[in-house]
Amino acid sequence: MSKIYLTVFSLAWQNEFVYRLNFILWRIRNLMRFFLTFFLWEGVFTTSKQMFGYSKSEMLTYVFTVILVSALVQSAPSADNIGGEIGNGDLSNYLVKPLSYLKYWFSRDLASKSLNLVFAMVEFSLLAIILHPVFAIPTKILTIAAFLITISLAVVLYFFISTCSRFISFWAPENTWGVSFIIVIFIETLAGSIFPLDVLPENLKNLIMLTPFPYLLYFPTAIFLGKISSTQLPKILFIALTWVIIMFFFMRYLWGKGLKNYSSEGR
Amino acid sequence: MDSVIKVSNLKKYYKVHQKDPGLLGSLRSLFRREYFEVKAVDNISFEIDQGELIGFIGPNGAGKTTTLKVLSGLLYPSSGSVRVLGYEPFKRQSEFQRQFSLVMGQKNQLWWDLPAFESFILNKEIYGVPDDIFKKTVTELSQMLDIEDVLKVQVRKLSLGQRMKAELVAALLHRPKVLFLDEPTIGLDVLAQKKMRDFIKEYNQKYKSTIILTSHYMGDVKELCKRVIIIDRGMILYDGSLSAIVEKFAPFKVINVDFEVAPDLDRLKKIGKLVKYEDLHAEIEVHREKAAKLAGSLLSDFPVADLTIEEPAMEDIIRDVFNKSNLLTEV
Repeated sequence: MSKIYLTVFSLAWQNEFVYRLNFILWRIRNLMRFFLTFFLWEGVFTTSKQMFGYSKSEMLTYVFTVILVSALVQSAPSADNIGGEIGNGDLSNYLVKPLSYLKYWFSRDLASKSLNLVFAMVEFSLLAIILHPVFAIPTKILTIAAFLITISLAVVLYFFISTCSRFISFWAPENTWGVSFIIVIFIETLAGSIFPLDVLPENLKNLIMLTPFPYLLYFPTAIFLGKISSTQLPKILFIALTWVIIMFFFMRYLWGKGLKNYSSEGR
Repeated sequence: MDSVIKVSNLKKYYKVHQKDPGLLGSLRSLFRREYFEVKAVDNISFEIDQGELIGFIGPNGAGKTTTLKVLSGLLYPSSGSVRVLGYEPFKRQSEFQRQFSLVMGQKNQLWWDLPAFESFILNKEIYGVPDDIFKKTVTELSQMLDIEDVLKVQVRKLSLGQRMKAELVAALLHRPKVLFLDEPTIGLDVLAQKKMRDFIKEYNQKYKSTIILTSHYMGDVKELCKRVIIIDRGMILYDGSLSAIVEKFAPFKVINVDFEVAPDLDRLKKIGKLVKYEDLHAEIEVHREKAAKLAGSLLSDFPVADLTIEEPAMEDIIRDVFNKSNLLTEV
């Protein structure tokens, strides 16, 4: 059974290597992103030593770590494909087979993430050598363990949230671009991909903390940087896990509803 | 023998929204949509036994694909009952899915950027095909279809014909008992069509699998299927042997005559229905039982150079059938 999804994983890796030029350009894009962020914050910190309670090296470590974390959490070919396949009826190819469509795409996501991680590490080390910024790498076992757990939860949570948003195609097959765009904006900002969330005014920050988004990027990164005290950790892990469970059932619910609609209309 | 496929009183209605033409119509449809009901399949029943190769024919939008989708479990019926191999298809049980395959000529299940063989490996795992059987089946099927040398080439680089053949191999790796082929020869050239047909025929005989085939091309059906189901506007117009269509819908034969000198046309019209006359050549429709006798009187009474008696073309008969059904529904 699980061999099916291992095969999917392997095909997905092969698929990524097919377009060499595209692959190389994508890596270059990632490097550019590192550089741009670096110079942006270098510029911001020329006038003051501290900003929003972050020193220059802390801020740089935050944004660099966020890029690494998002390379892992946000690289999801499922997000680019599920909506389209539902909309144009290619979903039928999968539905007639004894195969789980959602596991299939999750396997493809994992393949893409693992590949992305390997290359992001290489690029990251390269940049560290060129720019030699000061990093604070965690040393405590507890921090590392908590980081690994939150990042795993974030990977799963991202899949659930983004898949739910793609299911809109079940009811509006003609276009999900607008929705995809809103989701990306939401995730980029609310998840803490552009700046650490504690930069925001207290009220707004508290409001955002009630949503699942900070558990995608902000918390894994903050834990990695040692910003979260060990007394807060259990609560954060618990809430993250709760979101994962809620979104899992929500996704299953929408999938059932959507399939019902799909098989009554047909495409 | 128990039938493999049993459909009774199947109905499948859709709601489709309609839009007034133009930009204004588009804007209005954003806020208020008017729906109308399409009867894609309207109360059809049929049974198919094991090993039968059935041709489903009908014009675009007749309900062929909808029926196949219901049989595959992609659509659930609005009413009526459907059993395939004893299962209700729309429950999508994996025991059922392991025993059938659906190939749609317009859809592509192979990974576009990888060689077809990689997709075969994935299907092998999905259907749990043992290694030795997998190797044997791939070799055998790709030999039959003559695509052994392109299995390691990216699918996107294949010709349409090669790709369709590879699609077919992928769909047959688990040796399905029931096979639904929706327009398998669409867009193929004559040679590739022929190859495809030969393959389907051979496969059906060799593995005794039950096959339903839909097609626009009469050629496919004429060559492959003993039994045809003609469907139009969601209703079955005919279900029976191909040869009996001729007798049922075309109780006439066509006499082709070449004359030495121009005949008396008024006298000629008394023989039968003169369909065509030009350049000393005539086509006359006559009642099938009287064909021989009338041909005799033509030979004795007219300056005939050459004469043949022919069955009317299958395409013409089917077109007639559809025309008649349109008349019926319009009245």
